This record gives sequence, C-alpha cells and structure tokens, in this order.
Amino acid sequence: MIRKTRGKGTWLAATVLAAGSLFATALPAHAETGVSSSEIKLGITLPLTGAASPGYNKIGNAMNAYFKYVNDNGGVYGRKITLIQKNDEYSPQLSIAKTNELILKDKVFALVGPLGTANYTATHKSVGLAKRGIPSLFLNTGFSGFASKKSYPSSFMILPSYAMEAKIIAQFLKENHAGKKLGIVYQNDEFGIDGMGAFKAAGTKFDVTVAYTSGSQSAATAQTWVSQLAAGGAQVVVFFGVTSATAPLLAVSAAAKYAPQWILGSVGADPLTLRALGVPLAVLNGAQTPAGNPSPNDTSDEYVKQFQEINTKYNTGTAFDDYVLQGMNIGLMTVQGLRAAGANPTRKGLISAMENKGSTFASVAYSPLGYSKTSNVGHTGYYMAVMDASGDRKPFGGKVTLYTTDSGSGPVVVSTFKRPAMPAKGLPSNS
Amino acid sequence: MQKLLETFLIGLSTGSIYALMSLALVLVWRSTRVVNFAQAGQAMLSTYIGFEIASRTEIFWLGLACAIAAGALLGAGVDYFFMRVLFKHAVSGPAAVVAPVIATLGLLGLIRSIVGLIWGGEFKSIKAPASTDGFTIGERTIPFSPLNLLIIVTVFLILIILAVIFQRTNLGLSLRASAYAPEIAQLAGIRTARTRTIGWAIAGGVGGVAGMLVTSSNFLSPYSLDLLLVFGFIAAVIGGLESMVGSVLGALILGIGLTIILNYIGTSLVFIGGFVVLIVVLLVKPDGIMARGRARRA
Amino acid sequence: MRKKIALFIFLGWVLLLIGDRVDELRVYQGAQIAMYAIALSSIVLLTGYSGQVSLGNGAMMAVGGYSAALSLNNLGSPVWFAFVMAVVVSALFGALLGTAAARLSGPYLAGTTLALAVGLPEIANQFAFLGGVPGILFDVGFPPARFGEEFTQYKWFFWIASFIALFALFITSNILQSRYGRTWRAIRSNSLAAELSGVHSGRMKILAFTISSALAGLAGAVMAMTISLVAPGAYTLSLSFALVTGAVLAGVSSLPGVVFGALILVAIPEVADVLANRLGGDENLNNYLPGLIVSVLLILSVIFTPNGPGEKLRRRHHKKM
Repeated sequence: MIRKTRGKGTWLAATVLAAGSLFATALPAHAETGVSSSEIKLGITLPLTGAASPGYNKIGNAMNAYFKYVNDNGGVYGRKITLIQKNDEYSPQLSIAKTNELILKDKVFALVGPLGTANYTATHKSVGLAKRGIPSLFLNTGFSGFASKKSYPSSFMILPSYAMEAKIIAQFLKENHAGKKLGIVYQNDEFGIDGMGAFKAAGTKFDVTVAYTSGSQSAATAQTWVSQLAAGGAQVVVFFGVTSATAPLLAVSAAAKYAPQWILGSVGADPLTLRALGVPLAVLNGAQTPAGNPSPNDTSDEYVKQFQEINTKYNTGTAFDDYVLQGMNIGLMTVQGLRAAGANPTRKGLISAMENKGSTFASVAYSPLGYSKTSNVGHTGYYMAVMDASGDRKPFGGKVTLYTTDSGSGPVVVSTFKRPAMPAKGLPSNS
Repeated sequence: MQKLLETFLIGLSTGSIYALMSLALVLVWRSTRVVNFAQAGQAMLSTYIGFEIASRTEIFWLGLACAIAAGALLGAGVDYFFMRVLFKHAVSGPAAVVAPVIATLGLLGLIRSIVGLIWGGEFKSIKAPASTDGFTIGERTIPFSPLNLLIIVTVFLILIILAVIFQRTNLGLSLRASAYAPEIAQLAGIRTARTRTIGWAIAGGVGGVAGMLVTSSNFLSPYSLDLLLVFGFIAAVIGGLESMVGSVLGALILGIGLTIILNYIGTSLVFIGGFVVLIVVLLVKPDGIMARGRARRA
Repeated sequence: MRKKIALFIFLGWVLLLIGDRVDELRVYQGAQIAMYAIALSSIVLLTGYSGQVSLGNGAMMAVGGYSAALSLNNLGSPVWFAFVMAVVVSALFGALLGTAAARLSGPYLAGTTLALAVGLPEIANQFAFLGGVPGILFDVGFPPARFGEEFTQYKWFFWIASFIALFALFITSNILQSRYGRTWRAIRSNSLAAELSGVHSGRMKILAFTISSALAGLAGAVMAMTISLVAPGAYTLSLSFALVTGAVLAGVSSLPGVVFGALILVAIPEVADVLANRLGGDENLNNYLPGLIVSVLLILSVIFTPNGPGEKLRRRHHKKM
C-alpha cells in the first residue's frame, strides 16, 4: 500500500538521520587509553547536584585546582592532567551510566576519587572495572569491603574504613562516655551497616538505634529520628550518615530543645557545609568527631597553608573547607601515583606503583598508609576532635592523639607515626 | 493521644500547602481542561525570584509579595503565549489525549532547566518568617511550631480571599461562567479568553505562595517542588478536579493521612501511602469525593 | 505475514552486522535503544491505541526488573526464565492496575498512574529482600566462551537485548494489527459508539493495561541486564516522563516509530553533552543543557507534530490526492 511505504520511508530516513547524529558525536581514539604525549585523562563520578551533594560537590573542583597548579609547573613528566567530572547525583545507576561514558566515550586512563559506597559497588560490578584493568585510585568512600585485593584488584582506598572509624569511636565512647545512654542514627545501606557491624564487634551497646534510608533525609523525617532519640533518653548520639542528613538532624533537635552530646561520623561532619545548610553555630559547639586531617583553618600546618594558596589562586570563589582539603590531597596523592608509574605510564604500571610505593606517599592526613600487594587500604586511623563556638575543629584534649587500627579484630592503639613532609611547594618530585 | 494530636496538627500544616497547589491545578483545569504540570515549574521560578528579594532585603513578606506577582505574571504569560499556540495546533488525532499533558511536562522541564542554568543546582534556603522551634506546652516541646501555625493561617486567609473573589465579585462570576459554560458566557458578553488568562494568573500567584511557604522549612533547588506537584495533583484528584472546596478538602485529607503514615508506620511508605489513599477514594468515587454523579468527564 | 517474518529476520541480521562493526560504546547504546524500543511500544499500545494516558510505565518497568532479579538470584533460575518471570509478573500487576483504573479516564487516570510511578519504587526501600536504595545486582553472566576473548560483555547485552526487542516488537505488531488493535482504536475514538457496537470496553481496557505492562516489565528486565543492577533510582518518575516524551516525539500511535523514539532518547544526552562541551563546559551547562534541549524539542514537537513526524507527510500526501 502506498501510504504504508511512505510512512515507512519517513521512518527509515529519520532513523538513519538520528543514528548518523549518534555516530557524528564519536570521539577519535587515543594511542594508549587516556594517555597521549601531552595529556593524561582522569575521570571522577560524584554528586554535583541532588540530595547528597552539599559539600561533596566541591571535591572535584578542588582536585582540578590542584591539577591545574601542577600543570602550570610542568605537569607530570611534561603531560597535562585533565580531570573529567561526571555528575551521578549519588544514584548508583547514574554512576554506572557516567562511568561507562568515562571509560567508553572519554576513554580516561584511570578513575580518581569516585564517590559513594553503593555507587562504587554497583559501578565496579556493572562496568567490569576489574576485568578491564582500570585503576580506581583513592575512592571517596570508606566501605571496608573495598580493601579486599581479591574482590577489588585495581582499586585503592584513601579514607580509613568505616569499620576502623567505628572501632575508634567505640574506644572513645568507652574511655570518655562510659555509663551514659547511647543512641545512633545511621544510613541504612552498606555505608552505615559497615559501621554498625564494627560497633557490634567492639561490644558497643546502643540504647536507641535509628536507621534512615538514603535519600529520605528531610526535616520531616528527622522529626521522627529525634522523637525516638528523645523518647529513649539518649545522652550521647553517634551519627553515621551524609552531611545533608546531619543538618536536619541537628536543626530539628535544636528546635525540639534536645541537646545530647553529638558524635558526628567523619563523612557528615564538615562545619562549613552544615552552617550553609542552616545549622546554627550554637548547636555545633561541643560536637565531637573523628578527624583524619588537621583543621582546614590551621594555617600553621604546611599542607593546609599550601593548599589554601592553591585554592585562592586556582579555585577562586570557593571557601576552603574539609572537602576542598580532601580534594586537593587526593590530587597530591594522584600526582605522586602517576609519577611513580614512570615516564610512560600504563594502567598495569600505575597499579603496581601504588602497591609498591603507595605507602610512602606524602599526604595531609596524620595516619600511615596501608597500600601493599595484598591490601588496598589507605589511611588507617583518626584522632578525636571537638568543634568550638566559632565552628572550628580543635583536637580533643588539646593535642592530636592519633589512633590506628585495622578493619578486622585488631586492637585500637595510640600511634606515634610521623607523616612525611610535604614536597617543596606542594609539587611532588618522587619517581 | 498526644502523638495523635501532634500528627493531626502537622498534617494540617502540610496539607494546607498541598491545598494551595491543588487549588491552582483545579483553577486551571476548570478554565482550560488542562492539567498544568508546569505549575510546579512556575511556582519554583516564582519562589526563586521571591528568594532573591527575600535574601537581599531580609524581609520574607516582601519576597512573598514578589513571588505572588511573579507567579501571576508567569501564569498569565504561559496561558497567553503557550496554551493558545498549543490549542491552535494540536487538537486532533490520537495524540490529542496526551498532547496537553506532554506540553505542560515539557514546559516544566524547560523552566527547570532555565532556573538551573541561571541559579545552579546548589541548595538555597530562605529564612523562615517565624520560628521553627516547637511550641512548649508545660514540659514538652511539640513538633508543631509557630511556622506551622503561620502556614495554616496564611493558607486560610488566601482561601477566604479567593472565596470572596469567586462568590462576591463580578470577576469571580465571569471566571466561573467561563469555566462552566464558555459559549454561553461569551454570548453574555464575557471575554472568555481574557478571563481565562486571569484565572491562570491567580493560579500562578497561588502557586508562588505555596512555593515560598514550603521552602521556608526546606531547601530550594530546581527539583524541590516536584513533590509538591505530585501531592497537589493527588489532592486535586481526590477532591474531584471540579471543585475548589473539594481540592482543599482532598489536600487536608492527604496531608493528615501522609503524616499519620509517616509517624506511625515508617518513612518508606509515604509515597505508596499516597497512592493507596488515591486508589481507595477513586474506587468509591471515580470522579473524586465532591463529584456530583458522573456529570463531567474529561 | 511471511513478509513480516522475513523483514524481522533481515533486521536481526543487519543488527548482527552492525554489532560487529561498531565500537563498544555504540554497542552498549544499541542495547539501550533496544530497551527503550520495547518500553515505548508499551506506551504506543496503551496510549496510542487504547487511549489511556498512563504516567506509570516506569513503575511497571520496575516490577519487571525486580521480578527478573529476584527470579535470578533467589530462585536461582536460568536467565531466560528470569525474563519470562518479568513478563508474567508485570502482566499480573498490569491486570490489577487495569481493573482499578478501568473506570478512570483522563486526568484521574493520569493522577493515579503518577502516584504509582512515584510510590512503587519506594517499596524497595521498605523490604530488605528488595535490596533497598543500593538495589540488587542482576548478573546475566559472561558471554559464552566459544565467542572468543574479543566478544565483550556489552556486545553480549546488545545481542540479547536486540533479540528480545525484535521478538517483542514482532508480537506487538501482530496484536496491534489484529482485531484487538482495531477494537482499542475504536474505544479510543468514541467509547460510547464502541460499546453500542458490542465492545466490552472495560475488559478491553484491562487487556490493554495487561499487555502494556508486560511489555514495560520486559523492558525493565532488559534495562536491569544492561546496568547489571535493579535499584529504585533507575525507575524514577523522570523515566515515566521520558517514555511518554519519546512516544510523542515518535508518534504515539505508530509502532515503527518506537525505534526512532528510542534513538532520540539515547542520542539527546549525547548531543547535549557535546554541545555543552563546545560551549565551554561550565558545570551548570553540563547539568541542565540536556534537559533544556529535550524540553524544547518536546514542546516543539507536541505543538507542531503531535502525532509524530510521519503524520505531517501523510497529510501532505492526502492533500495531493
């Protein structure tokens, strides 16, 4: 029938046109994936927008600022570092889609700092990162499972694991808050459950336990958390969740005139972000938190001072806080990793470099690094800190007492480790 | 008992914001027979404008006034420039059923993208016009705050104003006539097209208020009003899209119902609870609770 | 009929060839296009043919995805059975939904399906066996060893997805061209007249919902395969909106159009990405430009070609005659 053919003809034409547009957007291939004579391409997926983004969305730009600084000073063996950021809105299947883009379309050399426990678990499996041999450096998550070399042969952590963090908090509770009623609010996925498991193993008994579903945090739901905590009479409350959940928890508690001793897990404890989300300074005053780095306001620390200078010059308009500090530190570690991989880096070479030399890298955090042929573990410890009336973070007890431990059943010990000095001007020269 | 009272009060407060949104949707539906999904976008844009004014002048009420004005202008603009073009072109064939829905959805996406491009996706907050600390009765502090009370009072006032406009003024009479029987209204000399635009403007203004009120206790982002749209729509459907009183009732029922689910069962079932409430109502009365028999169908 | 079978076999052969020639990214996108084509056909059937506007097909995809994952992981079934389960369970849900919704029309139906689309994925958060927010992994396994080392995982997805899509579209096409299709169109144009002619419109509407949901569920399972995951975040309200968008862009009552619509849905984020990069790569631009392009396209197409691009040409053809 004439009409049908006409219709089919139109469809064929339109389909070919649309398919053509798809092909037209394909990019040219590189000689060695992600590395050319002038450039090394790296990729990161993180929440730039969405419910979980406050605070974390600064990490990518901070990394970029540091890379630009290094590029202006000769790059890595003459190659400029390009960081491609992809927004995954903290949603696992978006992470998968974006990582596919990074690997198949942008053809990056390696992933750096992918953020989120559920996100990375999904991505690693779905995209087949291990099978493709793609290095994932310095994951922005502390899920203990990622430390396993067997399951994650090409991934490397940087943050102490949540199990380590929970054990250190548990020790702190025993030493400083014995006998009080304990409460906990945690994110009900692998991130929070990781911590809960370690608390249980350490023998911490919580009188009130509140689990929240990731994404459901809001003033309304925080109301229900606070009712439970107050009803249970919790005097010390541990919080193991993201910053955008800390905020309503603290704000609602203040409005309800419920004021326990807060112990905020490191993931959701940045004072600047919390204040931007509406938490009054008065509420933060006295909150305790495990910290791995010096305070971002501590200009007497050589790393902080250098990073602040870089931030002012290359990341103008962004206030220097925990996340910027973390981002720049990841940048510093990445450059050391790339240098250690040699003048002609390959993916395999980068992975061995991390395994063999990674533990000696310079980092702003106080605890030792645990990279080896058998472990992906990054930093291994925290010190306890307290927030003061101006929103700054000071070490608990006046000076930094560093605790280190492992993710298993090893003890929590006080450590005397001295971190390596920062390379001159923050520019690594290792090989 | 205490908890039930608290739940009821909070439900009333949330429900009254939904009432504004559902009112706006019903207003537009009755005058144009279109469900305006872009209402959330209009409200969002109005709220951003209100936010700018409020954060610069530190006066919430000034921001609110600006949001209302912006909403009204936007509503009128959407009707005048967008809807008329739409109806001129797209009213036949199998897509007639779905075209207006898609068009307003497209408009929602468009407004959202523009807002995102101008303001970015960062969460913004508006300082609330009243304290969010709960009232203290005796020893207990209940989760019901002066802000909640303010919201209920504001919505109530707006409802009264709208009722007066619709029942007592000539404008209101024209609006009702144009919506109910447009041809007859035209014969009686009412300029239905212009009246319809005014209806859209009122709806837009009301949406602006809803956006400002809901944002005063939450964050503002290009996606923050989506929930308001969904619940406003459900509330309007529960009330039966034909009646403004019904939409308010539906919203209050929904608000209270959802808060009961939130407080007594758990946060994860809030949305499905909304669905259940809706289905239950529609099974019994397919045209909404205020429908008079099967008088009007889409 | 024989011609049709031949056509579909030919298409399958063409896809096979394409799969061998293009790189991994395109193959992956090919699998996505196949998935969207199945999903869009569910809209064509439900809205284009039986005239019921549903904003909840994303929720039905979720039902299919989760059924497949649970069947694979908890029941230990073979992969093909997981897909069958997806179809069966979503069909059942569809029948249920249809029964509840058969009396509804227009905005009331839209509102109900909207509420479903928003509420259903949330159920996953409540019950632990549904995996919560991180979801459940859906692993169809590696391609058979005899295909060799070069045969990537994504190519395997492409093969499976294309095969399923061709099969589903073939069946759907037959259904739509049968008396069922004609009856649905009769109900859509004038349900009173249809009833007077002896059509049991309530039952036909429920049937439409059932088959449409079955198709959507199948698409959901295919999606789960391509991302190796079922999670509530994959089946958001935006997905339902995107499906209706794609259907309108392609012509809501045209089955051949679904391939075009699927291509558009996959191509637009790409094109927007490239554009955003050319325009300077500002953060904001990257995040909101795709949405802007889609919305503008949608509005333009709904206003000027509400029944798909094919309609305009058909009209002109009519005028000539």
